[in-house]
Parts: sequence; structure tokens; C-alpha cells
Amino acid sequence: MTDLLKENKLLDAITTSFKIEGKVIRDHRVEVNADKNTVSSILLFVKNQLGYIHLAHMTCVDWIDQGEYEMIYTVYSPVDKITLFVKARIDREKPIMENIDTIWDQANTYEREMREMFGIEFPGLIGEHDFILEDWDQIPPMRKEFDTHKYAAETFFTRPGREDAKDVREEINKRSGAKVPDFAKKYSRE
Amino acid sequence: MENDKNSQKIVDYIQNFARKHSLFVLAYGTGCGAIEIPATMTSRYDAERFGIRGAATPRQADVLLITGYLSTKTLKRVIRVYEQMQEPKYVIGFGSCTINGGMYYDSYNTINGLDQYLPVDVYINGCMPRPEAVISGFVKLQELIMAGKANNGEKYRENLEHYRSNQKKIIKNWKMPDYNW
Amino acid sequence: MEDLGLKIFGAILTTFMAFAVGMTYGGIVRKLTARVQNRYGPPVYQNFLDLLKLQSKKTNIAHGFMGHMAPVWIIIAAVTVLMFIPILNGNLWFPNLSFHGDLIFLLYMMVFGSLGMALGAGQTGNPNSAIGVTRGLSQMVGYEIPFVLALVALMIQYETTSVQDLTQIQHETGVWNAFANPFAFLAALLASLGMFRYSPFDIVGAPAELASGPVSEFGGKYLGTMMSGGAVFAFIKLTLYVHLFFGGAGNPDDSGILATLIGIAVLLLKTFLLYMVPVFYGWINPRYRTEQAIRYFWGWPTALGVIGVLWAVYLN
Repeated sequence: MTDLLKENKLLDAITTSFKIEGKVIRDHRVEVNADKNTVSSILLFVKNQLGYIHLAHMTCVDWIDQGEYEMIYTVYSPVDKITLFVKARIDREKPIMENIDTIWDQANTYEREMREMFGIEFPGLIGEHDFILEDWDQIPPMRKEFDTHKYAAETFFTRPGREDAKDVREEINKRSGAKVPDFAKKYSRE
Repeated sequence: MENDKNSQKIVDYIQNFARKHSLFVLAYGTGCGAIEIPATMTSRYDAERFGIRGAATPRQADVLLITGYLSTKTLKRVIRVYEQMQEPKYVIGFGSCTINGGMYYDSYNTINGLDQYLPVDVYINGCMPRPEAVISGFVKLQELIMAGKANNGEKYRENLEHYRSNQKKIIKNWKMPDYNW
Repeated sequence: MEDLGLKIFGAILTTFMAFAVGMTYGGIVRKLTARVQNRYGPPVYQNFLDLLKLQSKKTNIAHGFMGHMAPVWIIIAAVTVLMFIPILNGNLWFPNLSFHGDLIFLLYMMVFGSLGMALGAGQTGNPNSAIGVTRGLSQMVGYEIPFVLALVALMIQYETTSVQDLTQIQHETGVWNAFANPFAFLAALLASLGMFRYSPFDIVGAPAELASGPVSEFGGKYLGTMMSGGAVFAFIKLTLYVHLFFGGAGNPDDSGILATLIGIAVLLLKTFLLYMVPVFYGWINPRYRTEQAIRYFWGWPTALGVIGVLWAVYLN
């Protein structure tokens, strides 16, 4: 087992400066649980001081039972080759999060997507509201209380026959009278 | 167009023979199935020996290939493209997403069956269909043209109210030009 | 009077022959291109099927008066130029309206067709058409210069401006102009690469460039007429080249059926072999941008044309 020297050094640097918790998941993976007000200072700190210059991804997880959204920022350092997850929890009923557009430019696109799909407000975010969906008038669709199956069944027309889910190849062969060749029999369902 | 007079039959025969052996396909890939189109058109599974070639604009094209899923945003543009084509025009639905929704049947953003919004001539199933399946779909379209049964441009024109009501249920912000032919 | 009837019959025959030969050449080129790319291609008569299909479209979408006129002007230009080129030397079957100075007249009439297409494309209001038209006309500025220099070299060398006389002189001296003034021939050959719109100079009408440029809003019958006009123009330019540089075809003393057929066969052979030069060059080349094309044409081809003019002035 390799000793996780760099990961532990990184974790110590962050937790002692900001008084928060975190852990080393495995080698090259470190996660940190931050408070939502200090996320941008942590990101600026790791970007300028520790060399984590690449924002790889930014996403959101819906914890409906606990009534919270969890924002996850993924940053990467090409020198140390460690991926750092910065996690923060925000309230689910009135979600407002800081805009980190000024630190990395690509956060603009991720934040517009989250504004449309989850309903999170980012004060100071400049960009059109219609990003992927056009003329959307329901609740933000990635929330867990949005029943997408029911919405699809009501809005779009369903062709009958989907429920029994027969095997397509066998059906075509039955209807046209051909036979499934021997080498393809191992993919059959029967 | 079937007619009883013999001269009309000969004219129809010549016209259908020319139409089936020279299909101009609009170079428009709406979904993920568009990755099979270059494979069909190039050297290994040559589609040009059937007379199929790519056309650049809808005014020059005969066949509209709906390759894969259609989100509601794309459906508005595809309708506009379809109405710009000149008759006789054919629509081929690729993949299982056009038949019954395919892998995205429960998505809030993709339509479940193409038949309600545009008249379709031939469906090719598969996810994605291989080039041999694509060519067999085109051969089926050629048989339909020769039998005189591929008149879906007229069907769209006659049942315009029906198709429009279906389309307007999904596309709420309807700001499109009227269909004039 | 029967002379006039014969000439009218000959005119109609010429038009049909030019149309059929032009379209068949297009089909043969498509088949050869497919074989070069290691696949089977469409049948040789594929261009006729395309034309039939386009003419049998049931609805027509037009954009105004100029949109109707554009294909008509191309056909008018093609047929007019066809009447002035001697297809076979001094044959009574084919019309021969040549006069002194018709070489300069031909130069101007060949541009008339592009003008028609430009006006029609401008009426549609599509920005793609407008950009395609400007590209086409800029390229024409490029290749016209070596072409005109080559023709001027020939005119100076033989002191005549009639196509008929140039062919006659080649018959009398027994030496083709391609060898009598090789620099003019090379300049004209390199200019012909731009005329036939194969790679690398096909930026005007290629489907991947700006949605096919000027023809982007034409469909159905208009597109069919434009395609056939393009085919006729290809045959016209090839015949002009054969008459100017390769001695023409046909026997001026004999106008019987057999001699006519032999003359047509020789003409078809020569034009096909000459057509293979831009086609071969096109198989192996990618596409030039407009400024690269113009820079190419004003480089070596123009230099060769100037040397050809000097050759004609000083060595003869």
C-alpha cells in the first residue's frame, strides 16, 4: 500500500486553515466538507496557493429526505495529480449559492445548467435563462419530486405494445419465417 | 397516383423509376444515429450505386432522415425543414427512438413516436441500425415508390390540422411561418 | 430554302448532342471517381435519372421573377454559344454561323450564364447564395486572365480572330496549335482547371461549402435546368479547346454520313481525353480557398501566358 503522503499533506493544509473536516478516500482522491459561505475562499486558496488550477466539474445532488442540496466542486492539480472534491450543503426550499464565475470562466455554463435543472439561484450570473429546455413551464426537472415518467406519459403519445417487451430479433424472425442462426443463439433470451 | 388510362400508367412508371433511382438525402443528423450515415455513404457499404447522394439544402432534397431521438427543441426546427422541401418527399425514421421512444421513453424532453407529428414512410429499427440495415430500409422505400404508395407529402397537406394540433401540444411557443406550397 | 431547313435541323441536332454528351460525360466521371475510391459507382446514365426526377417534382417554390429567369438565361447562353462554335469543320449538317471576330464574342457570351445565375441567386435573399456568387465571380476573375492571354497569343500569331480560320490553319500547316505555341496551350490548360469547377477550385458549388452556394435555394425544375446547363457548358468549352489547340475534328471537304460519323467519333475522343485532365487533377487535391485560387491563377499560368504572347510576337 503506498503511503498517501501528498494527499494527507493537502488535507492538513486545508483543514488547519479553514477549520473544517475532510478525508482521504484513496490515493489521488481527497474530499472536503465545507460550509456554503466559505466555498469560494477555499477554491481561491487551493487555486492560487496549492496549484489546483483546473475546475473539472461542478454538480449538485438532491438529498430529498434531508431537505438539502449538496454542491460538489471538483478541482484537479496537474502537478500533484490529485482530484479534490469540495462539498457544500444548501437549503432545498430556497437554494441560493455563490457565483464563482470570476474564478473560473467555465463555471458560467455549469451554473446556467443548474439554474435551469435544479432551480438554484446564483446572484450575479449573466446568461440567458433558456439554456437547454425551451418554453419549460413546470418545476425544474432534476428535482426528485418531479415524476418524469408521468409527465412523459401524459405529454407524449405512447405507442401500445411496449409493455410486454418481446425480443425484437426473435419477433422479426417469427414474422418473416427465418431462423436464428446457431452462432447467434447465445444472445437469445429464451 | 394511380390512374386508369394506359398513357398515365406509362408516365407514372417512368417518373417512379426515375424517383426511386435518384434519392437526394438531406445532410442533417438530428440525433445519435447520424454516425451511421457516413459509414453508409463511403466506400465499404456504398450507397451511391443506388443513386443516393447527399443534398445540402432542403430545397434540393427528397428524403429527410430522422436519425434517432427528437427533443422538443429539435422538433420545431425539423418541422420547419420538412415544410421547406418540395413534393414528393419522404421521411425515414431511424432507430427505435422514433418508433416508440427507445431508450428515452420516460424522458421529459424527447418525443415518443414520430408518427404523430410527421408522416413517416419507412421505419428502420435498431439502436443504431448497421449500414446493411440502412440500405435495406432504402430498398424498402424504393419498393414503396415504385408501387406508387409513397405520397405522404399529400397526406401531410390534407391532414394539416391534425398534425398541427399534435405539434402545438408540445411546442408551446409557436412562431413559425404558415405552410405554403 | 432547304439550306435554311437543313441549318435549323442541324441546330436542334447540335443542341441535343451537346446535352446528351455533356450529361454522359458527367456520368462517366462519377463512375470513374467511384472506381478510384475502391467502390462501385452509380450507373453511367445516372445524370439523366437525376434530371428526370428533378423535373417531375410536383410543387414548385419560386422567389420571384429573377428566380424564374436564372435557369432560362443559362440555357440561352449555352445554346447561343453552341451555335457559334463549329462542331465539325465546315460540315453542312451543323450550323456554322462563324464570322470574323467571333472568338472575342465567345469570350463575352460565356460569362452571360454566370450573370444569370448571380441575378437569380441574389433574388432569393439567402446570404449563402450571395457569398457563393461573390466567390464564383472572384474565381472567374482569376482564371480569365491566363485564358485571355492564351487566346491573345493565338490571335497575334495567326493574325485572325475567327475560330474557323484557326482550325483551317492547323489543317493546312499540319501542326496542332498545342505544339506550335506550347506556352499558350499550357496557360489555357491550367485556366481550364478553374473553368470546369473540379477540385481544387470547386469552392463555388460544393455541398459542404456554405450549403452549396448559388444553387442553395433552387429546387425541382430550376435545379434540373441548371444542372443540364452546366453539362452543356462543359461540352462547349471542351469543343472550343479542341478546335483551338488540337486541330478540330471532321473533314471540311466531305459532308457525307460516314465522314460526319467519323468526325463526331474523333471529336468525342479528343474532348474526353482533354476532360480527363481536370478530372484526374481533381481526384487527388483538396479544396482551395478563394484567395489561394486567385493567387494560383495569377502566378504560373499568367507567366506562361505572357511568355506565350512573347513567343507569338517575336518568334513568328
